[in-house]
Amino acid sequence: MRSKVSVIKRFVNKQPVLLLFIFFILLMVVIKPTFVSITNIKNILIDVSIYGVSALAMTIAIITGAFDLSLASNFAWGQIFFCFLLNAWGESPGAMLAALLVMLLSTMAVGVINGLIVVVTKIPAFIATLATGIILKGFSLVFTKGNMVSTSNPFIKQMGRGTFLGLSYLTYIFIGFVALAYFVMTYTRFGRGLYATGGNMKAAELSGINVKLSRFSIFVILGFAAGISGAMFVCLMRAGSVLYGTDLALTCVAATVVGGTPLTGGKGSVLRTVVGILLIYVLYKGLAFLGLQGYYNTMIRGIVLLTVVSIDAFMTRGERW
Amino acid sequence: MESKENSARKKKIVSFLREWGLIFAIVIITLVATIIRPAFLSGKNMLNILRAYSTIGIASIGMAYAVIGGGMDLSVGSTISLTAVITMLIINNATVATVAPASAALLALLVGILLGALVGAVNGAILAVVNGRMAESFIITYAMQIVVGAIAQAIVKGNFQAAQYRSGLFKQFGMGFTPVLFMIVVAVVMQFILVKTKFGRSLYFLGSSMKAAKMAGLKVKQVRFLAHLICGMCAGLAGVIVVSRVGSASVLQGQNYELDALVCVAIGGTSLDGGSGSILRTVLGVMVIGFMMTALNILGVQSNAQLIVRGTVIVLAVALDVLNKSMKLREVAQ
Repeated sequence: MRSKVSVIKRFVNKQPVLLLFIFFILLMVVIKPTFVSITNIKNILIDVSIYGVSALAMTIAIITGAFDLSLASNFAWGQIFFCFLLNAWGESPGAMLAALLVMLLSTMAVGVINGLIVVVTKIPAFIATLATGIILKGFSLVFTKGNMVSTSNPFIKQMGRGTFLGLSYLTYIFIGFVALAYFVMTYTRFGRGLYATGGNMKAAELSGINVKLSRFSIFVILGFAAGISGAMFVCLMRAGSVLYGTDLALTCVAATVVGGTPLTGGKGSVLRTVVGILLIYVLYKGLAFLGLQGYYNTMIRGIVLLTVVSIDAFMTRGERW
Repeated sequence: MESKENSARKKKIVSFLREWGLIFAIVIITLVATIIRPAFLSGKNMLNILRAYSTIGIASIGMAYAVIGGGMDLSVGSTISLTAVITMLIINNATVATVAPASAALLALLVGILLGALVGAVNGAILAVVNGRMAESFIITYAMQIVVGAIAQAIVKGNFQAAQYRSGLFKQFGMGFTPVLFMIVVAVVMQFILVKTKFGRSLYFLGSSMKAAKMAGLKVKQVRFLAHLICGMCAGLAGVIVVSRVGSASVLQGQNYELDALVCVAIGGTSLDGGSGSILRTVLGVMVIGFMMTALNILGVQSNAQLIVRGTVIVLAVALDVLNKSMKLREVAQ
């Protein structure tokens, strides 16, 4: 009996944010039982899947002690360029595959530039990616002249609308990437190297891990994930614009932190982030479901981010001395 | 031997760029722009640039405080939007027959600065309590930006507010040389505080090493709180002057101000890692950006393409700082 109490106590102490969310979901279920309808769950899972792929990459970056603020711009660029290529190259399977690959190469190229700036010039990742994000946004605006780019490709439409066993195709893509990310981070040398790099960079370097390569490859992974998220988003919206998904980078950070991966690096897991992003989207959708619209919704998103990061930072405040 | 000479030359170039680069940049930009459009050098154009960038200047001076103390404040833009819409509400409500009374102008000024101080105080309190570093300052103040921006939206329901006054003291705040004067006064006071007071010296100490500052017995939390409070006050003041200068207020008024302020601070040679920097250089940085952006406008570069320039300038300024630091480290090692 006593041990049970202490287990609960430890859980409350360690995961206050998680607890708050679980409380919220239960509250939602009581207030609006229709919130847990099949369609609603399916729709929430689609949003979770699109941002989730990027959130996995952001988690890996945070574990490694890096960060990417250009993710949102890269995501938007991915949508725009994918739509552009789909329109330019036609609807044959080969052309669509080529469009996807070329788009992914372009978003990964942004990652390469980020990685080179951070690793070679040693500019803090925050500043470097803030700057490249601004540059890429400007470039996307010049490229599209500020307009939205749309596509009427039937295969893309089918990918966004189709379901298998009640779940969208996009959700299965996300599940695939979750498995891949978990496998890489847990069972490969590369993944363990990333944990070591984030935990203590000097110690990792002394034990023979190529720290520079680890840090560099993180940014390429982030670029890849932004491209995949962008392609998934195009499947859903059949359009791309600089205005879509500007909150991506910070939502991914929030999902990571809510899941329980601290911003200090070296700890955490991608599976926790899956829980984190699920909870965040249940909250966002729940608020919309309650009829809270527009700026109040934005305000609550901001407050969520503020609270979550503050609590996380408060818990780890001693580690920063 | 040769490599030593080489590195000495490289060091000279870098330190020369840091000492004189800003003034050099202003001269070159002015020259190029004047050759293409002689009107660039006219007194009227110069005053226009100074006036337009005085509010960014005031915000940048506040940002410099946050950055020198080892933090950052991304909520500056929203704070300016919030003070802008509230200032306009006060002035429009007090306006009688298109004249804004002097008392309302002073009230708006006071309320604006207090509002800014309030946002800054929340930022400072959270960051002091959680002992946040750059990563935390970044995300926490970014979240504040979202929240404060949404509050501004909620207050005016997203509507654009036009000025209902035609004359009065409030209009004077943004006319002629007054905004520049505001900036100069703020700069002088802030530079004085930074260099001559115990708080100012503590701020440098804190920014270069929080651990050392704590061990030396500094009131770390208090200093951090004050730095962010001052940053917020500057943003509030900037918000009031923007409204007076532009003659309208919207929730987008402060958009991108935090980025511009950060660019100006970085260009001014303040290390974004904290612990160094000066207000005078920040003001010079503002001038460089002001001259450059105006020159780009004259050359017909669109605002979207200007984003590319802004981002590139941040990378270059920070790269120069990092290069300079690594050289100093190497020098110490030798």
